[in-house]
Amino acid sequence: MPDLGDCEELPTHANRAAWDGDKLRIEVLLNPQTMSISTKSDWQFTPSTAILAWVWPGLGHISLGQRRRGLLVMFGVLFLFLGGVLIGGIDVVDRKEDRLWFWAQALCGPIALAVDFTNQTFLKTWPPDGAERSDERESRAIVQLGRKGLGRVNEMGTLFCALAGLMNLVVILDALHHPSRRVADRRQRGSTEP
Amino acid sequence: MIPVLAYIPFLDPINAVHDWWYLLLVPLSFSVSVIYLALRMPSLDHYWRRVLLMTVQIVGAIAALAIVLVVLVQVVIPRLPVD
Repeated sequence: MPDLGDCEELPTHANRAAWDGDKLRIEVLLNPQTMSISTKSDWQFTPSTAILAWVWPGLGHISLGQRRRGLLVMFGVLFLFLGGVLIGGIDVVDRKEDRLWFWAQALCGPIALAVDFTNQTFLKTWPPDGAERSDERESRAIVQLGRKGLGRVNEMGTLFCALAGLMNLVVILDALHHPSRRVADRRQRGSTEP
Repeated sequence: MIPVLAYIPFLDPINAVHDWWYLLLVPLSFSVSVIYLALRMPSLDHYWRRVLLMTVQIVGAIAALAIVLVVLVQVVIPRLPVD
């Protein structure tokens, strides 16, 4: 019996079409909890929410009306990112010395760009080139060296921030292509019903 | 003269982490669980219980992998014939 394959992609249950002898047999599997058929139109593609999710983690879901989900995502991503900066210092976000890591960290949004800007502008260029006494420059250079994370500290801080960015990429994709509010409400009802 | 460095949070690294860096796996897996389950669960009922469970699963799985690697490197590989 040749299988014509799935005639439509469904989020939870699939319907199938197949030749049964000389008849076309169509199976439609209903969701037993909601007794409804999902279609492709139940999914929405919204670039604006994805942009909001990048601008500030969780904002995309909050704009979709999923306030608690957005706040939880915000807590998780910011906990990872700020935890990384706390562990490794501001030096863990560095687009010049750790370029590949920075691409992952930049997925956290402008907060990562701001940390990198602060690092490049105020930390790495300090002490500035000028007509200062050499002993002052030397002592300031020692201070600057103390602000640079090394070894495990730098590794873990960089990893935390990069992982925050990669998790925010998942959040962005979820906000970009999400089930409509109707489907979300239906799913929630189905999962809470006994 | 070497200046004394005052620790400034978020600006200076926490150098004490060098001694217990592996414990950072716990907050790492906790955060991943928080984000993943916030997106994955259709309903957020029993959310924190699921987060705790997933955190324990991640930490347990990585600890088990570490044990397997230690056994492999410290016990199995030294017993292999040299030739």
